[in-house]
Amino acid sequence: MAGSRLFVRWRDGRIEVRLNEAGRVVAREAFGRVVAAERDPTHEWHAGLNSPIDPSEDTDSPLAALDRQREISTNAELAYMTLNEQFLNEGEAWAWLSTFQIALRSTAVANGLLSEEKLAACEPELMNFIRTIQQFLFGLAECL
Amino acid sequence: MLVFARARRRSGTSFQFTTLNGTTFLPSSDYGVGLSLTTATCDTRAMAPLSPRLSSTQGDVLTEDLVKTERPWNVIVWDDPVTPMSVVVVIFRKIFGYSQNKCTQLMLTVHHEGRAVVWSGQRERAESYCVKLQVAGLQSTIENVE
Repeated sequence: MAGSRLFVRWRDGRIEVRLNEAGRVVAREAFGRVVAAERDPTHEWHAGLNSPIDPSEDTDSPLAALDRQREISTNAELAYMTLNEQFLNEGEAWAWLSTFQIALRSTAVANGLLSEEKLAACEPELMNFIRTIQQFLFGLAECL
Repeated sequence: MLVFARARRRSGTSFQFTTLNGTTFLPSSDYGVGLSLTTATCDTRAMAPLSPRLSSTQGDVLTEDLVKTERPWNVIVWDDPVTPMSVVVVIFRKIFGYSQNKCTQLMLTVHHEGRAVVWSGQRERAESYCVKLQVAGLQSTIENVE
């Protein structure tokens, strides 16, 4: 049973990553795109990373926006740096989950997949990427 | 008649008093009879309801009311079609420290109603929680309770 799981928590608290090479390629692409989007304002995912905090205001508090940018970058860079690790600690696993989730939501926002109908009608390649990321998230959520 | 006395120094050291209706008089000596004369001609009936102590008490009550009417800020999480339910539960537990049951209830509220209030309180804390939820990849905003 445990052999089919992508992430396994050991008794000592570490989380084992059981992704094969193809899985790590998808993870590398997702993490790399989040890092790039946070640094590049013209990136297609950039808008998805900067959604409003208080929609009643024209602009958000600069300190809150800066805080968000720093934390997203930190998580994405940590996830990217630990891509080839076999075991993750709690903080690294949280960084992986956060970055996968940001990649998933940014993909949905960038492609206008904001309803069940539009998601069901999207291209197979895009749907495959979304389902793969969701699978990773299910696995990580079971361990955290 | 209510009389207010306005003192004006004449030549030398003595004062001349002029009332607001134009009457002038001289005190028999500086700060002596003249002042007592002014007090004696004041009609204080109109001042009776304006007790300084009463107005001070009213001010205190008003200030207290202002503090009580300060409204809390809500942190809202919005539904989206791609985020797995179990991930939302993990994120709520991690950020707010709520029980598994409460996290599941909040997640189901988001799923069925399109949004859920996950925290209420001070603006700065609401903003901080909102940023943490966005960093974890959930769509969240803050709003002032009407």
